[in-house]
Amino acid sequence: MQDFMNKKMSRRSFFGTSAAVATILGLAACGNSSTSDSGSSSSGDENKKKRIAVLCDDAGKNDNGYNQAAVEGAQKVGQDKGWEVKIVEPTNGVPDALESLGEDGYDIVFNMAYDFEALINGVGGAEPLASQYPDTEWVIFNDNPNKNDDGSVKHKNVIAVLYDLNESSFLAGALSVLVNENAETLFKGGDYSFTDPSTARACGFIGGTNSAGIVVFSYGYITGINYEAEKLGVTYDYYAKYDAGFTDSAGGATVAGTYYGNGANVVFGCAGSVGDGITSKAKEVGKLAIQVDGNKDDQQPGYVLTSVLKNTNVPVQTICDALDDGSLSSMDNLQDYSLASGATGLTDCTEIQKAITTDEGKAKWEEIWAEIEDLKGKVGSEIKVVNAQNGETFDPSTCPNVNIK
Amino acid sequence: MDLLASILYDTVYHAAPIILCVIGGVFAYQANVLNIALEGMMGIGAFASTLTVYFTNSLVLGLLAGVLAALIFGAIFSVMGVTLRGNVIIIGVALNLLVTAIAGFVMVRMNVANISLSSLNVSDLQIIIPGIDAIPILGPIVSGHPILTYVAFIGIWLMWVLSYRTKFGTYVRVVGENEDAAKSLGLKTNFYKIVAILIGALTCGLAGINLSTERLGLYTNGMTAGRGFVAIAAIYCGRGDPLKSSLYAILFGFARSLSINLAIYAGPASGLFDVIPYVVMVVVLLVVQVSKRRNVRTRGFANG
Repeated sequence: MQDFMNKKMSRRSFFGTSAAVATILGLAACGNSSTSDSGSSSSGDENKKKRIAVLCDDAGKNDNGYNQAAVEGAQKVGQDKGWEVKIVEPTNGVPDALESLGEDGYDIVFNMAYDFEALINGVGGAEPLASQYPDTEWVIFNDNPNKNDDGSVKHKNVIAVLYDLNESSFLAGALSVLVNENAETLFKGGDYSFTDPSTARACGFIGGTNSAGIVVFSYGYITGINYEAEKLGVTYDYYAKYDAGFTDSAGGATVAGTYYGNGANVVFGCAGSVGDGITSKAKEVGKLAIQVDGNKDDQQPGYVLTSVLKNTNVPVQTICDALDDGSLSSMDNLQDYSLASGATGLTDCTEIQKAITTDEGKAKWEEIWAEIEDLKGKVGSEIKVVNAQNGETFDPSTCPNVNIK
Repeated sequence: MDLLASILYDTVYHAAPIILCVIGGVFAYQANVLNIALEGMMGIGAFASTLTVYFTNSLVLGLLAGVLAALIFGAIFSVMGVTLRGNVIIIGVALNLLVTAIAGFVMVRMNVANISLSSLNVSDLQIIIPGIDAIPILGPIVSGHPILTYVAFIGIWLMWVLSYRTKFGTYVRVVGENEDAAKSLGLKTNFYKIVAILIGALTCGLAGINLSTERLGLYTNGMTAGRGFVAIAAIYCGRGDPLKSSLYAILFGFARSLSINLAIYAGPASGLFDVIPYVVMVVVLLVVQVSKRRNVRTRGFANG
């Protein structure tokens, strides 16, 4: 009997708890959509003020990089032009957030998240959001799904933004080799324990997922390593992992640890939070890491060599300017931002330079940096680097001085 | 570091937080409370400790904060799940989700994407035992780990003693095996359940501190990455025995370490190695379940 009572009791409380949870979830959902709705108070119909929105991905608007640059770019546009700017961090999934932004009639929506299915093709039998809301200009990043099988543009009101990350990664590869070869001179007296290049030459790469958006970095990096290694007549081992995920920073740190343990002095991390684990490991073992997306050089000062930048504010500015002067409709649906546009590249390396204390090291750094500056002019014209994001395939035999493990 | 040494070292590295979760989590299992909030307790411990060290630069305060935060989670779980008899699955899920929400919110307010302790160099926290660290196989296992890793391994024995050599341990198991009988003996069953949960919370807090502050000097959201659930699987594999369950935790650490270290030699096939830990878990659970069932059948309680 007692047992029966208990069972009954716990069943009742189960329903009670579920109801409470459901209510909370429901409230959260309302909260989400109401944030998307708010802030449209001043947009009177007669005085049509332009409205733009930035939809952040999981990393959030304060990621000190990719999202934050776009948010700041949009806010600058808002200030300069007096436009209304809406920043959304989706809590209920990207498609829902996109839909409510379309519903609200924003002029431009920048979708930073790597989630295009609902927008381009429609999910669950629904019409694609891009055709449901044709008056909104949708901007997506890092991929171009907006094309039919024959290569023609699917939705006129979608702009895909791609970066020539292959070119900036090339520079990172060249810099890695140059620093690796001269680590002893550069960082004399510092708290480092580099592997002497005469015993082992290696670089590492850790990517979050095996997609074109990630391997583009790796291929560029390999090509850059190969370019400098060939000049010096040496061979580099290349350790790469493309499935480290984006959250398990401790796991990423151990992977980086094995690369460092095998003689790599520089590991390039391209995997969200996992990259933060890599820089932490670099500090632990006294070696160097390369970060990605935003300028994260000060994350572990002295142990982050540089960051490969995606300056999302540049396309935000360009596209908003186009809307302002009416040229948006004639804009190409695929926007490619090269090294020369300033939208991608390396940081100015001021953080790592602080770790170079001797005059000899400083002179060497100047020498290395001059070489990088020189390469900047050549990449894209004289030096061709495979761009995986455009569907180009990488042939390892073109890089004989890199031994890909 | 040669391959064998780094495999062994990484085994200990990956096993330690899981062992910490396991040795405390077994008590809830023994008391027949399904605590799926191990993951959340570990996460909040990691977050609170890193956050505290970030603001105070004090590792001791960080340790206290991490443990305290996990104990608060344990208390919430106990009150809702044991005292108020709520559904432990729902409460557990809520607590697990709450961590990333709280941490995400705080980090947004702080305008950071992660909490990184740049004042701390984690290599200073590693205890290198002179003499032993040079011994080939023993060195990487015994030397060069942070203090909570040692606590984890000592804790296996401590928890085994607590479980099988004290009155408390016996009572917890009595409560778990037959609550009505325990009540008839005059045991305060809820008390034992709550203490069992709190012990789990305490060690999960330590696991979180080990994972974040002590090993990386870094908190990133979601960094527990399912380790709490692996711990639950280990507890079930070992049927609540701290020693056996910890062995499964070590096995998992070993598989993880293999997948990371052999990836260098396996090239593109490295992805396959990442499957090892999960295949091991499924196989182990299957074997344990089959042998358990056979036991039950020979004793004549076929549907028991």
